Amino acid sequence: MTFLDRLRSWEGLLLAVLIAIVVMNVMRSPYYLGVGNIVNLFQLSIEKVILALIMTLIIVNGEIDLSVASIMGLAACVLAFLFQAGVPMPVAIVVALLSGLAAGLFNGFWIAYVGLPSLAVTLAGLIGYRGVARIFVEDRAIGGFPDWFNTLGQQPIVGSLTVSILIFVILFIVIAITLHSSAFGRLVYVIGNNAQAARYSGVRVKLVKMALFAASGTVAALAGILYAARLGSVRGDMATGFELDVITMVLLGGVSIFGGSGTIVGVGLSILVILNIRNGMGLASITGNTQTSVIGALLILSVLAPNITQAVTLKFKGRKT
Amino acid sequence: MSDRGPAHSESSAASGIAPSVPVLAVRNIAKRFGATQALEDVSLELFPGEVHALLGENGAGKSTLIKIITGVHQPDRGEMQIDGKPVVIGGAAEAQRLGVAAIYQEPLLFPDLDVAENIFVSHQDRGEVIRWGKLHRDAEAILAELGVAIDVRSAARGLTFAAQQSVEIAKAISLKVRILIMDEPTASLSAHEVAQLFRLVRELRAKGVAILLVSHRIEEVFEIADKVTVFRDGRLISTRKRADATTRGAIADMVGREMGLLEPRSATTRGEKLLSVAGLGREGKFRDVSFDLHRGEVLGFAGLIGAGRTDIGLALFGIEPATSGTIMLNGKPVVVKTPRQGMDLKIAYVSEDRRQLGLSMPQSISSNITLPILKRYLNRFWLIRGSQERATAEIFRKRLAIRTATVDLAVSKLSGGNQQKVMLSKWLNTKPDVLILDEPTRGIDVGAKAEVHAMIGELAAEGIGIILISSDLPEVLMMSDRVLVMREGRQMAIFDRADANQESVMTAAMGQSLSQAIGGVVA
Amino acid sequence: MNWIQRYVRPEQVRELILLLLIVVAVIFFGTLINNYYSERTFNRIASSVTVIAIMAVGQTLVVLTRNIDLSVGSIAGCTAYFVGTLLANNNDLHPLLAVLIAVGLGAGLGAINGVLVAFARVPSIIVTLGTLAIFRGLLVDLSGAKTVTTDSLPLWLVDLPRLNFVTLGEFDIRALFMIAVAMVIIFQLATSYLKIGRQFYAVGSNPDAAILIGLPMRRVIFIAFVLCGALAGLAGFVTLARFGNITVEAARGMELAVVAAVVVGGVNIFGGSGTVVGALLGAVLIGILEQSLFRLQISEFWRDALLGLLILLAVASDAVILQRLKALWVRGELKRIAAPTPETEPGVPKT
Repeated sequence: MTFLDRLRSWEGLLLAVLIAIVVMNVMRSPYYLGVGNIVNLFQLSIEKVILALIMTLIIVNGEIDLSVASIMGLAACVLAFLFQAGVPMPVAIVVALLSGLAAGLFNGFWIAYVGLPSLAVTLAGLIGYRGVARIFVEDRAIGGFPDWFNTLGQQPIVGSLTVSILIFVILFIVIAITLHSSAFGRLVYVIGNNAQAARYSGVRVKLVKMALFAASGTVAALAGILYAARLGSVRGDMATGFELDVITMVLLGGVSIFGGSGTIVGVGLSILVILNIRNGMGLASITGNTQTSVIGALLILSVLAPNITQAVTLKFKGRKT
Repeated sequence: MSDRGPAHSESSAASGIAPSVPVLAVRNIAKRFGATQALEDVSLELFPGEVHALLGENGAGKSTLIKIITGVHQPDRGEMQIDGKPVVIGGAAEAQRLGVAAIYQEPLLFPDLDVAENIFVSHQDRGEVIRWGKLHRDAEAILAELGVAIDVRSAARGLTFAAQQSVEIAKAISLKVRILIMDEPTASLSAHEVAQLFRLVRELRAKGVAILLVSHRIEEVFEIADKVTVFRDGRLISTRKRADATTRGAIADMVGREMGLLEPRSATTRGEKLLSVAGLGREGKFRDVSFDLHRGEVLGFAGLIGAGRTDIGLALFGIEPATSGTIMLNGKPVVVKTPRQGMDLKIAYVSEDRRQLGLSMPQSISSNITLPILKRYLNRFWLIRGSQERATAEIFRKRLAIRTATVDLAVSKLSGGNQQKVMLSKWLNTKPDVLILDEPTRGIDVGAKAEVHAMIGELAAEGIGIILISSDLPEVLMMSDRVLVMREGRQMAIFDRADANQESVMTAAMGQSLSQAIGGVVA
Repeated sequence: MNWIQRYVRPEQVRELILLLLIVVAVIFFGTLINNYYSERTFNRIASSVTVIAIMAVGQTLVVLTRNIDLSVGSIAGCTAYFVGTLLANNNDLHPLLAVLIAVGLGAGLGAINGVLVAFARVPSIIVTLGTLAIFRGLLVDLSGAKTVTTDSLPLWLVDLPRLNFVTLGEFDIRALFMIAVAMVIIFQLATSYLKIGRQFYAVGSNPDAAILIGLPMRRVIFIAFVLCGALAGLAGFVTLARFGNITVEAARGMELAVVAAVVVGGVNIFGGSGTVVGALLGAVLIGILEQSLFRLQISEFWRDALLGLLILLAVASDAVILQRLKALWVRGELKRIAAPTPETEPGVPKT
């Protein structure tokens, strides 16, 4: 399937939906397309959105990482714990990132080198890393971070873009190039399609998987740190359940849960769709829980709709001959 | 094919008593998929107590016909009759009720269920509650009737292929099958196991079951069939009694032109010694394998399935490294522990299983071809140079005559033969010195097969050392300069071309004389 | 060795190991905790296991068919809340009817999952991730975030958790716990002796074969989801009885504990093997760890870290040890098959 074909199919549909939503929202609020609102739109879900980028690689590779939200929590808790123990903040940030890397490597080891299903390993991680995070902060809420750290999450740096949004933009470009133009990206697709064939072609499948989970852990830790900066305090249960939203963003973007297909453009569009729906519903004063229901329904529809279309076309064709 | 062995007289006797009412009649069936007319105006009659073989290249329409008879597809036109009464078969359950059963190339067993459960799993009349004692007794009775010794309580996981086929046949018998369809049942069986399978087929035939057999192995078809029908391009070309049919004629019908049988490859001059293997072994797979391979030589690996031939290939390429012995390449000892190392040493292994181990089906021809040496297609930012990739693919498209409009097409859209050519291209592109071909012509049609054979000849002439692993004995004999024979993980013999014939190779492969072993399976 | 190979399957080895682990854990905690072997400990563990075990039974059925149901927590939450509201507004509702409503509501929600997975062919992980959010969202919206309180509930329900089924020595076996035990027994028997039960295994073991030989694949998967929903509904009722106070957050996140119990219990996440009893053992082991760590005053925060490790070890032992064991088994069986018998020897065909 070439790029153009894809654009005509799933990505095209997403784009149409996106435009429809934006038009509806603009009709509701004339300031909707203002820079401030758009920045705000991203800022409120920036951690999930960053995670969706790396999750795209993982799912295209035919795996899944359910532990990302727990690693976010873990990194934030490590950071807070060290800060409280008097460690300088920059050092704490580095150690927190390393804790995410370690968690990712741990996942990767069991998945790539022992050969366990990622669904099970990262489910264990989801529960386990959250547990480790709680060991660090127990049931306290740790705050009082330095000002520069707290503003990290919200202070505009370039124009009205915050550090988080800049990180997202850079990461988006890097991952788009990696996935669609680099050797690594090609290997990610091949492994997602047929890991055995990749191995028989001399591809170092284990290394690629290991690298992906390590990257996923590190990015999750980064997201956790940004989240801590945005909230200004850290609790053991922060970011709980984020993995569902993240996976929804990726799958709605047309990435196959079975691996081997999907584009970063699709995920980018799906992110925009979800953010705008949430925002639009917010404008229409629909509560967060209903928003979540709608996203859940969208997730199912994203797979259901193509299935139904296919079935209908087949029936139609069958009748014609 | 003059000597068909003693099995012959028996089958002729069976066909002599064929009654005059067909148990299954297919009349003027047509079926279309998208732009492809898969079947056009096909009529076929199947009588009780006969083995009716279907021959044809891939895509000729055999599989579509089978799927229509088993209710997987519905025909666009035409009708089917069972016992002279028109029927519409809407699905597998309905086919079963009408006494139609099918056995596929891959046995359709449930690995986690035991043998007895597998036999009775699709029975509708055994009630909602399972009586395990009775289930196991009934299964034992059926297997005993077949003369097969399999523990009915063991899980189907881990049964040999042949044992799985036996369970499939037991399943069909338990369903009181009247029409048994066998789709390439022997593709993964050794000659010995084929002999056993055919013994069961003859028993079924003697009981009055009508059998529709699809096979790519023409020798086998002539060994067991009473009638031979040839398909080409969705049409039925000919139906002949076996006595009136010849292999040459059948092949001509299949390809639509007169075509020679396998031509022996003209020998190329043997170059310097390339690969030298001594005492090679891998625990539990094979041991004590020693041979030399020269430039320009084709070394055939013959033997039964599971004799360890593929394992040697995997060891040489580094996928499942050897645990003992030495490998010398160009006179220097080398270590191969990973496929990367194998590739660095200019060894290439073309797997027997295109679908599972060979290709990334949804991806393009060009990206499949460049995969092993993708590094060479990168610019300094580690990005892929697509134009260069496509240029390489174009070269191979012309050289191997891969039939496709564009090299950007997904491999899944190609025919089996063209997929095999993509596999070959992928490894030729690594410019190997040692090329290991594992079953390179399995499941591809006669035309593509001839092309692959020609290619092997060309490559040897260019000075590549080729190891040809094949279960198609005539192929091994025609293509190889020397033939190494494996049996149960051990090297039995290496024959020079002059000494290698069906008798000598099979004797070595089976550890006993040919006629004693299989009673004329490999004629 | 031969008779062991014949009568003990690798899957059963897993359950024996679990049983052993449970015994070891009980002895271990017994030496650490004063007065561990008491009615109190037993009832604490039993009541924490009850809800998870009931849901794990249903989850096992779904996982056997090579699917997963992540929406069970939301289903249990919905039923707990709606049946609670119903009973609070109508104290005279017959207890049996209340249970039936809970089970029926659960089954209905499960049927939605089932239709989408079995008939619309959407992968179960996607469907149930979606319905996890949808069911919970509907609950929050429809309830207006009100809470069911214990004092609004009928007395029989409030007293239910302390109702004894039978007293053995000093141990009181609670009726609620017996509900879980009954479910395990019923479904263990059903999956061993009923055709539909074996079809759960068949469908998960080889879906392609199931379609080609004409097993009613869609119906089987649909039934698995309906039963899973129904059992989640029952678990919702037990949750209501146990806690009395039910918010819209009831049973949130429960799906993780349930999947954990099933995986630890040796049910293959890729379908086809595992048993209901195994899932119960998994739930029991997790329950023992939970309650004992709590008693040990080792901060409860260690609990999840250990649970994660336990899941990992369970899956790893499955993949590494049991695979090797299975290979040995198979080899033994092959040897038996290979043993020459007159019938299997290739002979000259009878002419």
